[in-house]
Amino acid sequence: MQYNVTVIGSGPGGYVAAIRCAQLGMKTAIIEKYDTLGGTCLNVGCIPSKALLDSSEHFLNAKEHFAEHGIDIPAPKVNIGQMIKRKSAVVKANVDGIAFLMKKNKIDVFHGIGSFVDKNTIEIKSKDGKVTTITTEKVIIATGSKPTPLPFAAFDGKRIISSTEALELKEVPKHFIVIGGGVIGMELGSVYARLGSKVTVIEFLDGLIPTMDGTMGKELLKVAKKLGMEVFVGHKVTALESKGNEVTVKAEPKNGGPALEFNGDYCLVSIGRRPYTDGLGLDKIGIETVKGQVPVNEHLKTKVDNIWAIGDVVRGAMLAHKAEEEGVFVAEQMAGQKPHVNYLLIPGVVYTWPEVASVGYTEEQLKEQGKQYKTGSFPYKALGRARASMDTDGLVKVLADKQTDEILGVHIIGARAADMIAAAVTAMEFRASAEDVARMSHAHPTYMEAVKEACLAATANRPIHL
Amino acid sequence: MAIQIKVPAVGESITEVTIANWLKKDGDVVKLDEIIAELESDKATFELTATSEGVLKILKPQGSTVPIGELLCEIDPSGQAPSQAASNAAVKQPVAAAAPAKTTGGIKEMKVPTVGESITEVTISSWLKKDGDLVKLDEIIAEVESDKATFELPAEATGILRIVAKEKESLPIGGLICKIEVTDGTAVSASTPASAASGVAAVSGDKSYASGHPSPAAAKILDEKGVAAAQVQGSGVGGRITKEDAQKAQAGQAPKPAESKTAPSAASVISAGGTRNTRNEKMTSLRRTIAKRLVAVKNETAMLTTFNEVDMKPIMDLRSKYKEQFKEKFGVGLGFMSFFTKAVCVALKEFPAVNASVNGDEIVYHDYCDISIAVSTPRGLVVPVIRNAEMLSFNQIESEVVRLAGRGRDGKLSIDEMTGGTFSITNGGVFGSMLSTPILNPPQSAILGMHNIVERPVAKNGEVVIRPIMYLALSYDHRIVDGRESVSFLVRVKEMLEDPGRLILGV
Repeated sequence: MQYNVTVIGSGPGGYVAAIRCAQLGMKTAIIEKYDTLGGTCLNVGCIPSKALLDSSEHFLNAKEHFAEHGIDIPAPKVNIGQMIKRKSAVVKANVDGIAFLMKKNKIDVFHGIGSFVDKNTIEIKSKDGKVTTITTEKVIIATGSKPTPLPFAAFDGKRIISSTEALELKEVPKHFIVIGGGVIGMELGSVYARLGSKVTVIEFLDGLIPTMDGTMGKELLKVAKKLGMEVFVGHKVTALESKGNEVTVKAEPKNGGPALEFNGDYCLVSIGRRPYTDGLGLDKIGIETVKGQVPVNEHLKTKVDNIWAIGDVVRGAMLAHKAEEEGVFVAEQMAGQKPHVNYLLIPGVVYTWPEVASVGYTEEQLKEQGKQYKTGSFPYKALGRARASMDTDGLVKVLADKQTDEILGVHIIGARAADMIAAAVTAMEFRASAEDVARMSHAHPTYMEAVKEACLAATANRPIHL
Repeated sequence: MAIQIKVPAVGESITEVTIANWLKKDGDVVKLDEIIAELESDKATFELTATSEGVLKILKPQGSTVPIGELLCEIDPSGQAPSQAASNAAVKQPVAAAAPAKTTGGIKEMKVPTVGESITEVTISSWLKKDGDLVKLDEIIAEVESDKATFELPAEATGILRIVAKEKESLPIGGLICKIEVTDGTAVSASTPASAASGVAAVSGDKSYASGHPSPAAAKILDEKGVAAAQVQGSGVGGRITKEDAQKAQAGQAPKPAESKTAPSAASVISAGGTRNTRNEKMTSLRRTIAKRLVAVKNETAMLTTFNEVDMKPIMDLRSKYKEQFKEKFGVGLGFMSFFTKAVCVALKEFPAVNASVNGDEIVYHDYCDISIAVSTPRGLVVPVIRNAEMLSFNQIESEVVRLAGRGRDGKLSIDEMTGGTFSITNGGVFGSMLSTPILNPPQSAILGMHNIVERPVAKNGEVVIRPIMYLALSYDHRIVDGRESVSFLVRVKEMLEDPGRLILGV
């Protein structure tokens, strides 16, 4: 078969790129190694983790908050089998949706490992050993990433696990040890903490979710402790072993001090993800990865003229929505259009409860740049809506240019932060000032009022409800 | 009772005028005989003066065309009372002012003054004081550039400076430059009523840090059209560029036809190595005016050029003979400019049309020779004038040239020093030009181009000799200068330069 474009990998970058190519009139093929479409995000990432986060949050509410709401129920019990089953159903509905979208857009789907024969020929080896060869004018590499193991302890998939296995556990761990206090570690740590596990988080850097604004990490630490999680920041893991049903983790403070030893039944290693290009045959087309990444120029084109790469496999944040933007960006460029991706305004989200979401510059970055800025914060505690729902943890922090009042960063930890951040992205795409947002009507009572108040605070330190 | 101001009868054949510029805003307090507007007819621009003191009420907007006799504006004399009182009160304050560093609450708004007849806008070339600085009355706070000259802006009050117009920003005459929060009793002029302030707010409302920032959709459209955001006037809040603005934007040149949907190597043309950066810089108002003028000259005159050559040997001999003595006696070097200026003045007397200019249906003859000399400066070409050059001696001309060129290079030339020339001399020779066709300096009708001096073989008395030769070019407006006059003029100049004795005798 001859195609205009072939996309390798069907995660949120790949399938979105394929749909956009098809919309623009290109004859498009997509190659997926696994049986279902959707990649990490839909199968073993964003979607299943959110399913479990919601289930565990419901359990926690039933157990701890219903009584205060005036709902008396017998002590709830976790049915982990049902939870995983529901999660799987959610995943299935989503991946089936992608399959439907491929059909609707007349995109040919090939299951198997795609690898380059040359820059215009791709061989697809399916599970049953069948080999199909297709030719294509252009290629988009969207093969994504895989969890990074510790250098001294490989994943065994049973006790030393990655996020993939952590979404498939058959039991609620007794002591769930998390190495890496980033987004994945904090989300999955929360899931099991709510379900009753003892959870220990060990982070090498000096704060949780270290890529985000420092205030967020500090607030998240408070929340995590409230949930009963044990957190060690600034600790380096020196050993990780699994024996039978037990894992042992040894760690020491990186600035010196007594070593610690933890014994648990599961250890989640969530220290990051690495770009995945295994079996792709990049050598056949003369592309060499750099730190695992496929090098691309500002148009996301590789050094081979007809080959682009997007998503986790190239530089930048490993986020589904970043990959989606890049998929559209590449597809439109192929059609001769001139789209943009504003990398500064790709939001980051952590689905703990309360959620964390942020966009733009962090306060640390502004300090480093020597930028003159103003800060405005507003706590959820002072919000009527948050009191009503008993979600009073968290705050909104707005950073604005000292001279122009232009919003430079918005950082939210609090209920519904993940949905609220879109408003901040919109404002910042139009380069709104803090006062601009403060002068827009925000419905009452909503969590978004905290954003308006924080903007008032940033404008001239004049929040109404504080 | 409001006093009505109508379009005055400005000339026989003129039936209507266009309001080029309101120099005062609606609601401003105006004084008797103060210039409140510039009116333009098809012939000329003239100024409209207030016929009474009072509050101005504008009835016809800027840009509108109004027949003679039609009502333009009203002045309400009763409106002056409060402002008068205010300024009186302010004037009295210095007596009582004991605490100088305290702001009086008075704010002096400094606006772009009317700097010259044809100047409609200026550019802030640099701020000498910073925002928030304490400035004294008459202290120079900024340098402002018009298309004619650079001038210094003195503070109109003592107080704290609040900068409104940024460096390199262009402002129309009357535009707000800065505000001074008056700190002592210095009189705050009464011309800052509330309406003026609101007018200012409206202006700053469509300029902001986000001016020209395209929305995400607009950015894509502009890129595809090949239009720089800087070329688009944003209609969104704070001057932002909306999707609609981008859709309406016209590319400077025909945009590349959109590549077909499946064009195989549509995007593969992108990288070829080597930088292909372009830079967009706003033209200075000097450059804009030069551009406008030069095109206008080409379009509005019947310009052509006649050439001749001059054997420079006699002048060079004379010059080398008396160079030392001249310098000693007058303290200025003996250059070629004095010879050329002298020769030109003599010739102009003989061919008055070359020294004339066109004004509507009339030819204006000048009985004097004001010679404009072109000087290249870092800001561009400026043309200061040597007044009554026909009356000056060689050393006076040389000193004047040195003085004007120096002021030109320092950007210190005043508008007076640059207006009113009757004939121009330009010397492309200093840059190595062999021959060129100079362009007229309106409203003058001729310009002499000097060029480099090159040793060339020439025939003298039947023999080939090597002589230092300069080609001369005279561009002239054929509407009023005939070929005979222009050619004879140039021949006359040549004769005098080749035999400087004629300069003394006038033969």
